[in-house]
Amino acid sequence: MNILLVCVAGMSTSLLVRKMEIEASSRGLDVKIMAKAIDDLENVIDEYDVILLGPQIKYKEPYIKKLAQQKGKKYSVIPSMMYGMVDGKETLDLALKLKD
Amino acid sequence: MSFEEIVFNIIGYSGDSKAYCFQSLSAAREGDFKECDELMEKSKAELLKAHHIQTKMIQEEASGTKQELNLLMVHAQDHLMNAALAKDLIEEMILMYKKFK
Repeated sequence: MNILLVCVAGMSTSLLVRKMEIEASSRGLDVKIMAKAIDDLENVIDEYDVILLGPQIKYKEPYIKKLAQQKGKKYSVIPSMMYGMVDGKETLDLALKLKD
Repeated sequence: MSFEEIVFNIIGYSGDSKAYCFQSLSAAREGDFKECDELMEKSKAELLKAHHIQTKMIQEEASGTKQELNLLMVHAQDHLMNAALAKDLIEEMILMYKKFK
């Protein structure tokens, strides 16, 4: 399963990706998790199963909603509280739930 | 709050504020000024939360506690500034929508 995290520059989400990877490997899950900038989303979206947005990019949700529908992908905005805690465990659960 | 949490909270609250702001502007464009005002209030409340974290850091630094400064913190400040500017400009734009409705 491939999970993509998207924010403005792909910078802060990279940190969250690291936490999610640690959580995934401790659960023995085979997932690929990446962080990308929103401007790159259209080029890479095909390679991923689910897309998570950082709360800082929520204002672009209408654009992402349309793109996700076109491509048949599921997406969700990471809630600010979860993001603020840099909670890799909860964020991974959010991605897994989207896939189901 | 750990350094990491400070950074992510500033970014998260700034992001929520900016999102509400743009939703508020969309509501104004649709002529729904009640919705527009409510969303703008929410935007301000979120921005204030980010500002509180910021103010606390500045106060701590002023009282002699050195703050950690790296690229991630600069990035968080960038988000906060963006959200603050978006709010100020969008408030003006909404006034225009109200004036010309």
